[in-house]
Amino acid sequence: MTTQSSTPLVTLKLLNKEYGQFTAVNHINLEIEKGEFLTFLGSSGSGKSTTLSMIAGFETPTSGEILLHNNSLIHVPSHKRGIGMVFQHYSLFPHMNVRDNIGFPLDIRKVPKPERDKKVDEILKLVQLSDFADRRPNMLSGGQKQRVAIARALVYEPEILLMDEPLGALDKKLREDLQDELRQIHRRLGITIIYVTHDQDEAMRLSERIAIFKDGEIVGLGSGTELYNTPPNAFVASFLGNSNFLKVRIKSESQAQFEQQLLTLGTQSHRIPDQTDVLLMIRPENIYVLPKEQAAQEPLAADMNEILATVEETVFLGESYTCTLVTQSGQRLMGKAVAREHTDVTAGSEVCVRWSTQHSCVYEQWSEQDIMKAS
Amino acid sequence: MLLTQQSLGWRIKSALYLITGSIAAFLAMPIFFIVALSFGSSQWLVFPPPHWTTKWYERFFDNPQWIDAALTSLQVATVTSIVATLIALPASFALVRGKFRGRDYLYSLFTLPMIVPVVIIAVATYSMFLSLGLTGTLVAFIISHVIVAVPFAMISIINSLKLFDKSIENAAVICGASRLQAIFKVTFPSIKPGIFAGALFAFLVSWDEVVISVMMASPELQTLPVKMWSTLRQDLTPVIAVASTLLIFLSLFIMLAANILRKRSQ
Repeated sequence: MTTQSSTPLVTLKLLNKEYGQFTAVNHINLEIEKGEFLTFLGSSGSGKSTTLSMIAGFETPTSGEILLHNNSLIHVPSHKRGIGMVFQHYSLFPHMNVRDNIGFPLDIRKVPKPERDKKVDEILKLVQLSDFADRRPNMLSGGQKQRVAIARALVYEPEILLMDEPLGALDKKLREDLQDELRQIHRRLGITIIYVTHDQDEAMRLSERIAIFKDGEIVGLGSGTELYNTPPNAFVASFLGNSNFLKVRIKSESQAQFEQQLLTLGTQSHRIPDQTDVLLMIRPENIYVLPKEQAAQEPLAADMNEILATVEETVFLGESYTCTLVTQSGQRLMGKAVAREHTDVTAGSEVCVRWSTQHSCVYEQWSEQDIMKAS
Repeated sequence: MLLTQQSLGWRIKSALYLITGSIAAFLAMPIFFIVALSFGSSQWLVFPPPHWTTKWYERFFDNPQWIDAALTSLQVATVTSIVATLIALPASFALVRGKFRGRDYLYSLFTLPMIVPVVIIAVATYSMFLSLGLTGTLVAFIISHVIVAVPFAMISIINSLKLFDKSIENAAVICGASRLQAIFKVTFPSIKPGIFAGALFAFLVSWDEVVISVMMASPELQTLPVKMWSTLRQDLTPVIAVASTLLIFLSLFIMLAANILRKRSQ
């Protein structure tokens, strides 16, 4: 991680944006380090794009502060912020060819012609579009257009590149290719990228850090691994990947009651008072499903929990074998870690469900909406 | 269910073709009629023409009064088109981009000249120019024509501006251009077809205008439609058919050009 530098490149302080009664961005704080690839991830209306627009200068904050190198950007107009930006719908200038599109920022800055042409040629090579330099945007494919847009945003070497769902309009294969290209460009140029997307796979694939937006607030911030393995709250757990939630009641410092059983919890639960109802979260891939007979032969390790459940449905997905399980009290779970040789794990059979205490997370507060997967 | 051509039987299909064809013919009839008469030999506009001739065209082009009127028309229409576009362009920007109270009312105000009967505008402008002593001048023609031409220019420009993706302009701004630079270097060139189409519509409005023009005209200064009108009141001559034909063909040509531009801007 890149936290050793003294001042962050960009700082958002209590940044707030209201449209009448509606709060689009609610007093967020965020520090962005030089050279990092940070993604704003959230569903539409979560405030991620509004935040990006405020950094770009297209929206004026209702209150709060945006600092670049510790200098306020609030009263700096967009065109003097020296930021590069790539938009969702390419936003190329339709009346100019590729070369002039890319040269536009240099022409505005009155860069001498030889230097301008040299830079444009270099960046054309970087995005592999040298052969298309004289074409108009309407003669390009979606992927080519977006590469032109990226080149245009990079040609004047801005410190920060903002990307607003830049690959949203492209098909899956092309999107993955461009994601790889983008990662390479980021590595090669060392530029700071702030990327907005609603696609969690894209966020995981690209970014060093992810800021998860919900209702105008950042509800999770960290690397993809951190956010996935130890989600800070039930919303993030449910938003990123698949998750199982069990409602349990704290019984002692490290134990909770689920149905008739006591479960061992991780260290997170130490401060929670007894008799509190909490939410236990376990990822499906950490849930082991064993036929009862086999469970009898494999003793339960000290840091493992075990509950009983009935298999409702099994699905073979090639790389994994997934089954839906129902506990005695009717709670549903999804298990992915089913060994292939266990062909006797079929619908209707009674099984043992095991997970390691280190793979569970405990949440004291949640709302039902948080744990209902937004589809 | 969609009513597509394929789903119809041949009977209904041919009936529809026949009806559509008849209506189109009915609408185009006056044009064919007048064009035919302009080449007819009959002094009294007999139809069908007994013989074909181009002598009325010679009359038209030999008569300096007709030529003057045509040139005045061109002059008035050209200046009207430019002035109307220059007014419509910033107005369209304000109406599309602006967020202010009374915007919708302002839009209605701008398009009012399309709805208000032309006679009323004609009488109003006539009395105004009369008191200013400007009747019978080019200025009076142009100002009064601009009033009725602006809405036409505006509708075309507003349409293309609404279709224009503002993030393209924002892209220019984030690239370092000021808002004004971005508008001039990126937005205007992008909506150019729409602006030109608007200018052509404004030209057409002025070119065909007769009600206001009759009021503004003097014996020395009149536009082609006014000249036709006054000639018609004195006597019936096929030269009027010639003037009509020329009027129609320039209009058709401009209409076509405007349509092509409008399609390109979408």
